Amino acid sequence: MTEKEQKQIFEEWLNQHKALIFKIVRVYGFTVMDQDDLFQEIIIQVWHSIPAFRKESSVTTWLYRVSLNTAIKWTKKERKHYQSEAIDGTQHILEESRVRTDERLTWLYEEIYKLDEIDRSITLLLLDGFSYKEMASILGITESNVGVKINRIKKQLISKSKKYDHHGI
Amino acid sequence: MEFEELRKIWDAQNNQPLYAINEKAMYNLILSKKKQAHHITNISELLLIFVNLGAGIMILALNLFRQSVNISLYLLSAWMLVTALYTLVRRIQRVKGDQQFDRSISGDLSHAISMASYQVHISQIMRWNILPIAALTLLGLWEGGKPVWIVVVVLLFFALTYYAGGWEHNIYKGKKRALEILQKKLGNES
Repeated sequence: MTEKEQKQIFEEWLNQHKALIFKIVRVYGFTVMDQDDLFQEIIIQVWHSIPAFRKESSVTTWLYRVSLNTAIKWTKKERKHYQSEAIDGTQHILEESRVRTDERLTWLYEEIYKLDEIDRSITLLLLDGFSYKEMASILGITESNVGVKINRIKKQLISKSKKYDHHGI
Repeated sequence: MEFEELRKIWDAQNNQPLYAINEKAMYNLILSKKKQAHHITNISELLLIFVNLGAGIMILALNLFRQSVNISLYLLSAWMLVTALYTLVRRIQRVKGDQQFDRSISGDLSHAISMASYQVHISQIMRWNILPIAALTLLGLWEGGKPVWIVVVVLLFFALTYYAGGWEHNIYKGKKRALEILQKKLGNES
């Protein structure tokens, strides 16, 4: 594959699926600096993954796989970006959108962030409408295991949302 | 809220981009990272191979050139060449093994654990390897009639290297443990 072809595919994937990467970045990165750091890691991995893509799965599934793999492993790394500005002078790639988001969505992101790394992945896939079979294939675990985890996560989120409703925030 | 309601809130964001991308900075990053695809394992393996090979050949050549009868230095040279060969064989085995993992998150974690185990193993072997190299070097210096202070300095150097090797080994062990915890979480039926 030539570099030109790789760049073309990369641009196409990013244009069509950037929302997917943004969601992962927001779920795994707490501060804007962390989100920017994770986004950089993900796009590098996505770029390197292009020659290995054999069209055996959809682009969305592939991107989820690559991005979640990167995000899960990234959470284990030491954070370098607690400060509000980059320490090493590197440019930011992500700029937060000024569009006002639904408060309930902010609450939902916060609740997902409180889950562990693996449960965050499952919640993202669940909310984005993946089937148990697809989730099992992305995660590399059995469908029954996916089912057990989903039941627990759903109960947890519903119970928390009731408290949220109750407090009328 | 029921789960379907949560999903509706989630779906609503698909029409609102959360971020804007600075494309110029992004492509600069890709360009700068493109050539850094070599993993740290790759670099440390190549370093081990070339350092041992280079040092082994140099010691052998110096011994032959001087027509020295210093047995320890011949043994040291042979030991270093064997170490380079061992690292090369392990590297070939590792590269072949890289193809055996599926592309799921679990497969990727298994691959990362296998790499971490390899790093733990190699760092341990190389740490132990300091002992025979140190012993043969010191014997060589003693046979060559070098002053005591040189022997002490060399001994201190090897002691420091052994200590630093232990520190490096512990870093790899920690990384492996963290990955194993992740895989356990993924596989847990709860």
